[in-house]
Amino acid sequence: MHIDWFVFFCQIVNLLLLLFLLKKFLYGRIIGAMDAREARIASTFADAEKSREAARESAERYEKRLRDLDAHVDAAMNRARDDAEAHRKELMDKAREEVDGLQARWVETLKSERDAFLADLRRLAGTQIYSITRRVLRDLADVELEQRIVEILMERIQTMDEEERGKFRASLADGGTITVQSAFDIPDVERQKLDDVIHRCINGETQVVFEKSDNVMTGYELKTDGHKIAWSIKDYLDSLEERFYHALYEEAQEKR
Amino acid sequence: MEVVAIDQISPDQVILFAWGFVTINATLAYTWLIMGLLVVGSIAITGNLSSERTMSRWQNMLEVIVGTIRSEIHDIAHEGSDTYFPFIATLFLFILFSNVFTFIPGYVAPTSSLTTTAALAILVFIAVPMYGIAKNGILEYLKEYFRPTFIFFPFHVMGEFSRTLALAVRLFGNLMSHEKVIAILLAVTPLFFPVVMQVLGLLIGLIQAYIFAILAMVYIASATQTHEETEHKPKKETEPVKI
Repeated sequence: MHIDWFVFFCQIVNLLLLLFLLKKFLYGRIIGAMDAREARIASTFADAEKSREAARESAERYEKRLRDLDAHVDAAMNRARDDAEAHRKELMDKAREEVDGLQARWVETLKSERDAFLADLRRLAGTQIYSITRRVLRDLADVELEQRIVEILMERIQTMDEEERGKFRASLADGGTITVQSAFDIPDVERQKLDDVIHRCINGETQVVFEKSDNVMTGYELKTDGHKIAWSIKDYLDSLEERFYHALYEEAQEKR
Repeated sequence: MEVVAIDQISPDQVILFAWGFVTINATLAYTWLIMGLLVVGSIAITGNLSSERTMSRWQNMLEVIVGTIRSEIHDIAHEGSDTYFPFIATLFLFILFSNVFTFIPGYVAPTSSLTTTAALAILVFIAVPMYGIAKNGILEYLKEYFRPTFIFFPFHVMGEFSRTLALAVRLFGNLMSHEKVIAILLAVTPLFFPVVMQVLGLLIGLIQAYIFAILAMVYIASATQTHEETEHKPKKETEPVKI
């Protein structure tokens, strides 16, 4: 067993050479690649962590937005519901008002129609009653209605008490005329009679003026400047109108 | 034909070429073979290294080997392990590959030559004070020989030499004896038993490579860290006793 010194030094050189070569071709490269991979993995993990953090933040942000949105939607829904309720009430009130207005107008129209109908009825009834009465009187009693009216007026003047006559006279004290208004033309004979009765019973000097009224319901009127006496079929017609009014009203109530 | 005859105790004795004092023997030839394999293999594998997540199997193997050596060195040296890594890794890889190829007929491990192991041990012998001085400075390093007292100086010096000698002889003895045992067994029982011994030889070769590299690392670590430990050891303070 011996040591060959040449080989010994050669081996030292060989090993140092091997150390150099391996350092150059193996360790440096492998460690570089490993470190690069580790760095890459670390950066990948860091990126992943960053992404995860970003994702978490995004998720939180969107969750918050979703919650806000939900709250907003709830508030909007409540507001919309309240608005709709208010609008419904407003529309209902408006509709009620319109219905009330329509009803009022309808009632008004109905009333005016009723009044018009009653007025027409009154006018027509007055005319008819007047003509019927004339015919009945003529047929049954051979009496002219106008003549009879004049007679009644004369009777009235003649049977007038002193107090009433005093009122006529007082109103004629300052002058003026007595007007006899009737719905028909009084014949001259009857006029003369009436004129006489007035002059005899009320005032002998007063001028008597005869006027014809367009209104058939007038009957007759004897009037001075401050006092008058009259007869007309108005009272009968009022009674008739009242009965018609009640009949219409009761029928309307039953229909309702 | 046997490269190393049974009466030739070392591959140094197999002279391939001689010219004056220049002697090319089997030890050098096989050393160059191993060197060539390591360097060419390294160049071939590291030629297209990938730092991506996917890599070749060869790169993966190299990364496992290099990573394991690195972590072993780090376990012992803790800090500055990358400074010692190329030296220790080269020792380990050279010895490992020298030993592993012994199963090839006709191959003789260069490490079964005392010349090679002595060269390896001398390299360690030189490297230990070099790293120690580089780390702590020459004065601090030399002071270590006089600790705890100057009386220990000769023992320290003896220790340096004896452990170097032990490194060289341990590796040489194990590898040489293994080859001789194989040669003897082949002569005695040529069937089966030598195969088992070859397998055992692979294990011994691996263990010896590991032991050599680890011991070298321990020596270097002791030279660089002993001083630090003594320097940073906290001094015990005597507390005043209250009477």
